[in-house]
Amino acid sequence: MIRPDAELLLDITDLHASVEDQPILKGVNLQVRSGEIHAVMGRNGSGKSTLSKVLAGHPAYRVTSGTVLYRGVNLFELEAEERARLGVFLGFQYPVEIPGVSNLEFLRVATNARRLKRNLEELDTFDFEDHVQERLKVVQMDPAFLERSVNEGFSGGEKKRNEILQMALLEPVVAILDETDSGLDIDALRIVAGGVNQLANADNATLLITHYQRLLDEITPDYVHVMASGRILRTGGRELALELEQTGYDWVDKELAAQGVA
Amino acid sequence: MTSTSTRDLVSQPYKYGFVTDIETDKIEKGLSEEVVRLISSKKDEPEFLLNFRLKAFRHWLTLEEPDWAALGYEAIDYQNIIYYAAPKQQAKKASLDEVDPKLLETFEKLGIPLSEQKRLSNVAVDAVFDSVSIATTYREKLAEHGVVFCSFTEAVKDHPELIERYLGSVVSSNDNYFAALNSAVFSDGSFVFIPKGVECPMELSTYFRINSGDTGQFERTLIVAEEGASVSYLEGCTAPMFDTNQLHAAVVELVVLDDASIKYSTVQNWYAGDENGVGGIYNFVTKRGQCRGARSRISWTQVETGSAITWKYPSCVLQGADSVGEFYSVALTNNCQQADTGTKMIHIGPRTRSTIVSKGISAGRSSNSYRGLVQIGPKAKGARNYSQCDSMLIGDQAAANTYPYIRSQQPQAAIEHEASTCRISEDQLFYLQSRGIGFEEAVSMMVSGFCRDVFNQLPMEFAAEADKLLALKLEGSVG
Amino acid sequence: MAVSTSEHVLAPVQQRGQVALSRLGLPTRKDEAWRLTNLSRLEAVARMPISNVATASDAPPRMDGVVRLVLDGVNDPLEGVTLPEGLTPLEPKELELALGHSLDRCGWSDDWLIEFNHASAHQLLALRVRGTVPPLELVVAAASGLIATRVLLVVEEKAQLELLQVFSGRGEAAHSHLLEVHLGQEAQMNHGVLACADGLASLFAQLAVEQEPRSAYSLTSVVQGWSLGRIEPRVVQVDGQASTTLKGLAVADVEQQLAVHTSMCFEGPDGELDQLQKCLAAGRSHTIFNGAINVPRKAQRTNAAQLSRNLLLSDRARVDTKPELEIVADDVRCAHGATVSQLQEDELFYLRSRGIGASDAAVLLLRGACQEVVDLLPTHATAWRPLERVLEGLAS
Repeated sequence: MIRPDAELLLDITDLHASVEDQPILKGVNLQVRSGEIHAVMGRNGSGKSTLSKVLAGHPAYRVTSGTVLYRGVNLFELEAEERARLGVFLGFQYPVEIPGVSNLEFLRVATNARRLKRNLEELDTFDFEDHVQERLKVVQMDPAFLERSVNEGFSGGEKKRNEILQMALLEPVVAILDETDSGLDIDALRIVAGGVNQLANADNATLLITHYQRLLDEITPDYVHVMASGRILRTGGRELALELEQTGYDWVDKELAAQGVA
Repeated sequence: MTSTSTRDLVSQPYKYGFVTDIETDKIEKGLSEEVVRLISSKKDEPEFLLNFRLKAFRHWLTLEEPDWAALGYEAIDYQNIIYYAAPKQQAKKASLDEVDPKLLETFEKLGIPLSEQKRLSNVAVDAVFDSVSIATTYREKLAEHGVVFCSFTEAVKDHPELIERYLGSVVSSNDNYFAALNSAVFSDGSFVFIPKGVECPMELSTYFRINSGDTGQFERTLIVAEEGASVSYLEGCTAPMFDTNQLHAAVVELVVLDDASIKYSTVQNWYAGDENGVGGIYNFVTKRGQCRGARSRISWTQVETGSAITWKYPSCVLQGADSVGEFYSVALTNNCQQADTGTKMIHIGPRTRSTIVSKGISAGRSSNSYRGLVQIGPKAKGARNYSQCDSMLIGDQAAANTYPYIRSQQPQAAIEHEASTCRISEDQLFYLQSRGIGFEEAVSMMVSGFCRDVFNQLPMEFAAEADKLLALKLEGSVG
Repeated sequence: MAVSTSEHVLAPVQQRGQVALSRLGLPTRKDEAWRLTNLSRLEAVARMPISNVATASDAPPRMDGVVRLVLDGVNDPLEGVTLPEGLTPLEPKELELALGHSLDRCGWSDDWLIEFNHASAHQLLALRVRGTVPPLELVVAAASGLIATRVLLVVEEKAQLELLQVFSGRGEAAHSHLLEVHLGQEAQMNHGVLACADGLASLFAQLAVEQEPRSAYSLTSVVQGWSLGRIEPRVVQVDGQASTTLKGLAVADVEQQLAVHTSMCFEGPDGELDQLQKCLAAGRSHTIFNGAINVPRKAQRTNAAQLSRNLLLSDRARVDTKPELEIVADDVRCAHGATVSQLQEDELFYLRSRGIGASDAAVLLLRGACQEVVDLLPTHATAWRPLERVLEGLAS
């Protein structure tokens, strides 16, 4: 849903970032307004996952220049947990397993940290159980997963559902979903995409990072961006995704060659 | 980003480091046969006990201090220690109102209120200050059930036949260097007797406090559970901060008869020395339980966070058929602390079972060793053991060592041992942080998750406390 | 030539060893490394005269393409042998420099068994390996008295070696064998030790292996039937970044005592260890496993796994196992496990429910337990029928 008067949530300007001194992002520009769904596509190594990690504040990624304003605030002055509390959410491509830490307890602590920031009352154990039971429906998840350790022994699909469950609990303003579709069969993909659709509304925005068009059959983006060599090479509507599906990424090389960057 | 972090987090000040200013009755420094006799006469002991002490002392003289544990420390000068110190209040008071208010205040400050109004509702407490027991709560209520819970000194007076029968029957006076020393000079401790068929109506707890700077603490705990009896017992320990080392060499003996069970939990938070390893308690303790009866059970749970050096191996001798031994341990070392701890499970009787769960966390420049023995004797047909030893390393200067000995002479026994090493990974921390959980909380969540199997074994009242204690101890050490 | 050189080189080593032995004295049970050992048997070996007759070989015909060298204690192992390209004896100067180097790197000093070999070794084989060479077989047989041998292998950068060492023993006889291996960068060595005896002879085999980065060392040891057997591989990855595989099988019966003491040290980052030791104790025998793994601070990202699996097959046999892990690096994966049991009831039952008699089922399962390790021996080991030998030793 594109509305010109919508709030500018994320304003990325000429963003450069590196990992282990290897430049990955080389000047990303992107604006995301409330109500919008953006898809960032590109081949492996194009920098799309790096973009998501940088936005969430992963310590291994170093911003070398450029700015990111989140609702007018310099994102890079905030620790990872502070970004999360303010409503920036990263759905991980590979959610880590944390043995021994109860999933339910983890969800409760995280939810309350975010609620506190929104001046909402913290939920005690009992209220939280009710709250989470209701949110489980969004991803059709078995409550038994709450009793286990965070992601431990979860299948790929279960891990992704657990990610969307966290999104449902934290109610982020900007949700960045990194390759949420990878490793999912079509049924799981529908459930996860259904969750994302239910949670999207006029006051938040979603950034889908994906390699394939098939997720976009389930979630309709307002914008599609193609990343290559650490920059956004082209931006269009959803038809760009369909075009990519048919022609592949070969044209990207030509375009990069023409620009002398490849 | 993680640089602020765990390392500073661990080095929280020790909040029990104060000294109580109280007049004490101390004897001269040094150890000799006269000192042993003096301690015995101060306590007006029966002859059998004096003989027990003298025999232990004479044997101790023939022993050499063990050096096989992976520990390094300056030689202890046994002649430079005071072997008896007691707050000056003659004879145990009939009522708590007569106890020196300074002492009551000390324990209150430690979170162990003893007065009638404030005492913990379902926990009976024996408070031991330096070498002597100063108060035991709920004695009358326990007596109604036939449960004896009192200081060792009182037990010698009131139940000499029980003491004579059980003292040294599990840990003999010549068992090892520190046990022999303790047997010679022990000054007080706790005694618990649960008669046949009685389930102890409340948690029992002894709280040990070292106050004097130059005093060794040698207490002795003896718990006997008769047929079908059961009890849950907890000990806690703190000491003031001195820049010298104090020796703590305790002996704990547990005796469990048919169908009886003892659950023994320890939260050890002796002063650990400063971040450069100056000061702190040398904690050399012998703890052993004997499952004498069929279907008897002993469960040791320990949370070891303090002391400069810890050397202890709470053990179970599984004699009775179908008896069960358990050992659940969390040992956290930071700065220059050294811990060498573990257990021995000696399977003698048929179908005896044991479980060992050990979680070691090493931070700073500390060294944390698990040392265990699982021994299955030829008659322990159908015996089972399962052991799990996990280490978590925080920083690249801490050591985690694992030495699990296994010996079996019984083919129809099954022993299984698993061990792993892990650390708090940057990815795990980031994952939690990216959900809005602060760094310190994330670390503490992961550490307590790591220890969960052990904390689950602690009595409810203390599980949360142990969790907090660990978080506190670790503050500043991940990064 | 090798013999004359070795006499020349070994003479001072012998003297030093004799001095060290008289200083150390015989091991006692107070020493942790000897606590469980049958010391009277050790003393018997210590007193044993050095064998001075060449023992007749009981070796099967040599397989095509395999280079077989026989250390008989008397004759030059290289006499009459044309070494293939890539295998050359070490020059005397090189030998003097290289001998003892790997021992030092493995931190092996003041050890009774090492000094015993030093004092007694009267035969030395020292080879350099370049490029890829045909499979090598070193055969040592003991039939009367002590046969003390020493082997040094310098495996050059990128060289590849497949080595099978075969030890056999009959009657009142013993081996003292000391092997040093230096693996250059990217070198690969597949090492098999097949040591079977009649239950009377004794075996001491100390293996010191030094690995340069990106080298791969894989040891498969199969030890069976020694009155007193002790095999001690010690491996050091001098700069980490290497891969080490240690797979062992020890099978003991009647009164035998077999001990396997392994030690693995990572002295640099990114090293790997995959270790499995199986011990089977039948009769009144006693097996001992002691597995040390040392991961110092400089050995970040080490990945080590050790598993000790023990089968206790009789109620008069005894199993001792003692893993020892010492870790001072936080970014490591180190797992170890140990099990002691008899044959699994459910596996036995499964076989019996398919009509296989109880004793046949047990034999099948034992065979399977041994096969897992035996199959990893270098392929030309099949000529020695290793599985059959091991299982014959368990006939009781």
